[in-house]
Amino acid sequence: MIDADYILSSLTKTFPNDFSESKIESDTKLTSYVEKDAIFNVCKHMLDNLECNHLSCECGVDYPDRNELEVVYHIASYEHPVVITLKVKLPRDDPEIESIVSVYWNANWYERETYELYGIMYKNHPDLKPLLLIDEMLGDWPLRKDYDGYPNKTSKNLV
Amino acid sequence: MGEMIENVNFTTSSAISDFLKKTPAQDIINWGRKNSLWFLTQPMGCCGVEMISTGCSHYDTDRFGIIPRDSPRQADVIVISGYVTKKYLPALKLVWDQMPAPKWIICMGDCSISGGPFYESYSTVQNIDEIFPVDVFIPGCPPRPEALIQGFIELQKKIMAKKDIGTDY
Amino acid sequence: MDTNIGPSEMLLHLGPQHAIQPGPYLLDLRLKGESVVDAELKMGYIHKGIEKILENKTYLQGITITDRICYLAAMSNNEVFCGCVERLVGIEPPERSQYIRVIMEELSRIQSHLLGLGEFSTDLGFITMFLYMIREREEVLNLIDTVTGSRITQTYLRFGGVREDFPEGYEQKTMLVLNDLKKKLDQHENLYDTDRIYRQRTVGVGTLTKEVATELGVAGPPLRATGVKFDVRKDDPYLVYDDLDFKVCTQKNGDIFARIKVRLDEIRESIYMIEQSFDQMPQGPLFPEGTPYGRRTPVMRVPPGEVFYRVEDPRGEMGMYMISDGSDTPYRVKIRGPVFPTMQALPPLILNTYIADVAAIAASMDGCTSEADR
Ligand code: SF4
Repeated sequence: MIDADYILSSLTKTFPNDFSESKIESDTKLTSYVEKDAIFNVCKHMLDNLECNHLSCECGVDYPDRNELEVVYHIASYEHPVVITLKVKLPRDDPEIESIVSVYWNANWYERETYELYGIMYKNHPDLKPLLLIDEMLGDWPLRKDYDGYPNKTSKNLV
Repeated sequence: MGEMIENVNFTTSSAISDFLKKTPAQDIINWGRKNSLWFLTQPMGCCGVEMISTGCSHYDTDRFGIIPRDSPRQADVIVISGYVTKKYLPALKLVWDQMPAPKWIICMGDCSISGGPFYESYSTVQNIDEIFPVDVFIPGCPPRPEALIQGFIELQKKIMAKKDIGTDY
Repeated sequence: MDTNIGPSEMLLHLGPQHAIQPGPYLLDLRLKGESVVDAELKMGYIHKGIEKILENKTYLQGITITDRICYLAAMSNNEVFCGCVERLVGIEPPERSQYIRVIMEELSRIQSHLLGLGEFSTDLGFITMFLYMIREREEVLNLIDTVTGSRITQTYLRFGGVREDFPEGYEQKTMLVLNDLKKKLDQHENLYDTDRIYRQRTVGVGTLTKEVATELGVAGPPLRATGVKFDVRKDDPYLVYDDLDFKVCTQKNGDIFARIKVRLDEIRESIYMIEQSFDQMPQGPLFPEGTPYGRRTPVMRVPPGEVFYRVEDPRGEMGMYMISDGSDTPYRVKIRGPVFPTMQALPPLILNTYIADVAAIAASMDGCTSEADR
């Protein structure tokens, strides 16, 4: 029976130095920070050995006071109900991380989206280009906290 | 126009339309137009779903001659039913240009009127009426199908008033 | 996509305005003769930046915005947002509210599936079915309207409960409509099953296998049509779904025909769930007693923390990741919609099919562009 305990012990055994601040919230919820260089191998290990075959979500979070960006992965499974939340810290001025598209196919669009909204660069991504925004807005990183286009300047006659 | 020939009176299409505007013939044309307002099904948001329901079995706008069409080439009215984004605006303009005149435009829902709940978004466009010559505004979020039908009826009144002969006539 | 075309090849833009689309998206196809050799999907035509807006609205205002993520499943979107806040605050709706939520969410699933089936049928040129389905949907929408006062954007859920109780005689009225719907569904299914042209266009077309579907991350009915028993209501139960008896509807073949069957079965299953909920529903308050949460929660602050909560949307697994920093607005909201991965899987799915089948396949996935774009 695979549960959060089992997954965490398996992960920490295989990657002894890469996990920190791990927290088991319940049988099915697990949160942990992962070192930035290890994330690709961690995902591969989870897919191959722990039946975590479903990338539920991948997103970015901005922490301007800590001068950090975080990439958050929610990895679930079609076989068991455990949801694993993995977080990776990146420096805000040079966010770069290994892409996991070759492990989870559907990470492709999530990474393109995170790239255009937060400016996180993915190494070895097959086709890193904007997905949702117009090309002119590339470089604004609208979901960062210091984006100055909010509220939209065009709403002049409403506010 | 070719060269002048003796004893033959040439006319131009604008002369014909000027003539029509001044006579009751225009009333008949308008009557025809107002009873065949084919609209373009082009759902863009929540209001788009209401637009689809309006054209279907229950509300059945066919009885007013208001029929949903799939191609801009066959449509007289375009209903802007939802949020217009910066990315979609050029395509929408293209669709509008492809429609044959005379044509009308209805803004359905708060989003297309003023931005609605998304007026402060970084990606949407506000004040569509500065870009398109809008004929009827229907407020609501979303307007009920009855309101859309009312909007069409207002448009019909406008057409019958003889002053409104559609854009790009 | 490479735009240099070889001999007997052609580039075709499907969209952003096209009759098969539930919302604007652009499907670039490269055709060789009649078959599709390359496809690329372009999104973002109705990207509204909901995540940014939610970060700048108070929690109560946020409910209104979540309605508009996917307008066919407003109830599940409310559920996922309110569920997140409830988990952060540490309250639980009383049992009556939970049953009311289940009933309303299942009603909303029924209307969403009906519209999905209808739109799919028009794209095959089966207009009769479209009109039938919309006729049925209006009845269900009436039921939702009676309670919530709105047809599609209901804003019905509140933190710790629901906005209104059912009016008098609602159960009888609902069951009348739903029993009628059951009978009509049988007729419609018969119509689907016996139509020769329909079968030719759907059986064995657009087939997804189990392995491919899980690899692509497809969710909801298209996934269950391949035989994967994945349903958040069963696997990671929320509300009172644990106490209800229902089965996860699956099919084996994974083609268009199977997807439609799954949707038809799910409508029946939802009706069954609603019947049970009415029977088991206790009397009681709508909001947890002794807490300030009510219909109009005043300015509320949510304790710092983070949560990832999943529900079963009509289109599959819907999740929300919410981070709170202790203020009255969320710090970060990430919406994980089921349609995002499903749309992503569309280009690989239509490779090497005929151009005539593209519309049928795209419609059978029941994409909601608004939710994929957010
Ligand atoms: S006006 Fe309201 S219902 Fe209509 S598209 Fe905008 S948000 Fe949706």
